[in-house]
Amino acid sequence: MLSKKGKFSHFFFFAPVLALIGVFIIFPVFSTIYLSFFSSSGKFTFLANYLNVLSRREILNLKGFSSGFPLGALLHNLLWIFIHLPLTTFLGLVLAIILKDVKGGSVIKSIIFLGMITPMIIGGVILRFMFDKNVGIVNAFLAILGVEPKTWTAYPETALFALIFGSVWLWAGFSMVLYSAGLGTIPKDYSEAAKIDGATPLRIFFNITLPLLKPITMVVVTMTVLWELKIFDIVYIATMGGPGGASNVMGLQMYFYAFRQFDFNSAAVVATILMLLTLVVMIPMMTTLRGERG
Amino acid sequence: MKRVILLALVVGVVVFASVTGYAGQKTLTLISGWSGAEREAFLPVLEAFEKETGIDVEYRIYRGEDLSTLLPAQFEAKMTPGDVIFMWGWFVTEKAREGHVLELTDIIDEADFLPGALSSAKVGDRIYGAAYTGKIKPGFWYRKSFFEKNNLTPPKTWKEFVALLEKISKIPGIEAPIASGDGVGWPLSDVTEHFLMTFGGPQLHKDLTAGEINWTDPLVKAVFVARLVPLLEAGYFSEPIEWTQALELWWNGDYGLYFMGSWITGMVDDPDDLGVFSLPGAMGLVFNPDICFIPAYTESPKEAKQLLSFLASSRGQEIQVKQGGHIATNLGVPLDAYPPVDRRVAGVMQGKVAMLDLDDAIGGEFQTTFWDQLKLLWVRPARLDDVLEVLEEKAP
Repeated sequence: MLSKKGKFSHFFFFAPVLALIGVFIIFPVFSTIYLSFFSSSGKFTFLANYLNVLSRREILNLKGFSSGFPLGALLHNLLWIFIHLPLTTFLGLVLAIILKDVKGGSVIKSIIFLGMITPMIIGGVILRFMFDKNVGIVNAFLAILGVEPKTWTAYPETALFALIFGSVWLWAGFSMVLYSAGLGTIPKDYSEAAKIDGATPLRIFFNITLPLLKPITMVVVTMTVLWELKIFDIVYIATMGGPGGASNVMGLQMYFYAFRQFDFNSAAVVATILMLLTLVVMIPMMTTLRGERG
Repeated sequence: MKRVILLALVVGVVVFASVTGYAGQKTLTLISGWSGAEREAFLPVLEAFEKETGIDVEYRIYRGEDLSTLLPAQFEAKMTPGDVIFMWGWFVTEKAREGHVLELTDIIDEADFLPGALSSAKVGDRIYGAAYTGKIKPGFWYRKSFFEKNNLTPPKTWKEFVALLEKISKIPGIEAPIASGDGVGWPLSDVTEHFLMTFGGPQLHKDLTAGEINWTDPLVKAVFVARLVPLLEAGYFSEPIEWTQALELWWNGDYGLYFMGSWITGMVDDPDDLGVFSLPGAMGLVFNPDICFIPAYTESPKEAKQLLSFLASSRGQEIQVKQGGHIATNLGVPLDAYPPVDRRVAGVMQGKVAMLDLDDAIGGEFQTTFWDQLKLLWVRPARLDDVLEVLEEKAP
């Protein structure tokens, strides 16, 4: 049990960082939430702002299901999650397993990890060129299959998917590294014992390895979803959310509201919605991990 | 002790001299969006100013789209990244109304400029921006050698124009008759405005700019349905390509025509090989003066006004027009200062109404929406109704 003096000295050392967190994180968060409930003239609107923002076609455009993209930034972010998440998670796991005991595996892993350390702005520029009709590497590969070249980011039906698939290499390194670390913590005795009992490699993977990687998977899934929710720079550089809003995302729309239209209340609404979606993802992860430790 | 005091005095004098010496050497910062070949053509103007006044000028590149985000926050903090900044007229007048821009009525005389050149930079009778050189958006550029080689002639009627496009499309090696420039989207808006002005008339264009007619109005829609959309559906326009890349591809013969502003004459290897024609029947053309202003938070207002006056003067503009691709707004620039190709461009303007660029005049959210929706229209012309609906939503 700490003495009063001990508690005071703890607080004394924590105080600076608590002050910084208070000023740069806690205050802006609550300030933004507060702003989202008011109009630009300062009138309290309660949920009217939210209803207004969610009814705008740039946020949610259900008509797009019949007329074509855009579907709205919110649904575009969900598409990012549904497509990008399983791809990068699965790819990272497969790469981690393949490169586990391979000679030169660490060098190859470093090369794959380059995507993670590439600034996302540069990633966006690379994506723009990758899908270009005249110079794009994607068209070079697709030409082998007889597909006519086009600038995939210029068309509403393909712009979003081009960005999603094109950015898998940017994030796969993250899941690969985490899974590599996780595989390293699994005692070899388990798999050896299973082999002796006659288990096949596939059975060992599904019954032993995968369950033991559950905490890693939780972290990979959570961090990837958070990345996909806040995606901005790649889209800004590669397509600016176009054509016609077909590749727009919530992060970019928040930027448009705040810094193009100077509609800070709408921007605050989008920010708060993103925060709530983040909590929906974070809370189960925290609960699961705490339960596992317990 | 005496030695210490003497040493301290010497150090103090040296520091004082270097500080005041440094302070005496003014350096202004000028910001505009010109890079590459356009920047190279602009630097001689700044060098002439530096030589004449002894004031150094540091040139920084920022796109207008980025400045429109950056400057409002800086101005609210009573700061500015530049002493003289080139921006859209609507932005200058908006910031002037908010008190962020120095008034220039005392140093700019409207009578020295082309009629209407300063209209986008004025609030009432007060002038807040200076007109530098401007660019005409005269129409479709072609290489004369390409036309000669393929027995092509500029069209005089709409029918001849469509026939020309069909003929070009059949030439081996041609990807599409017309290259479509892209980037943030303004090249497509230039083409669209040319169609609106030609087939809807200058008054329709003015009404759209002023918000006095809807984008969904049958008169507006008719221009798209009858003229632009059929050409898009026929594949006469390429898919949008980054505009400087499109310039290169067009020059190398991948495309026959390229709609671009008169600055193109300063960007090609052989300007004498350039020809241009407007859409047959065009009664108005966009003439866009570049507007520069001085933020109220400049630390060197006197020197900034000197630089701005130089840019607006016939001396400064003559240096620029000699580089090619620019049309002077100052009436004092003689015609023989222009390269031959620009004299021809100025000739295209004869008998036509000079119009402001629609999206530059409206600005704000509409401008970026206009650009983005046209990118959609270009690849999916069947979505015209959706496009016009969105434009009407965001229109003033």
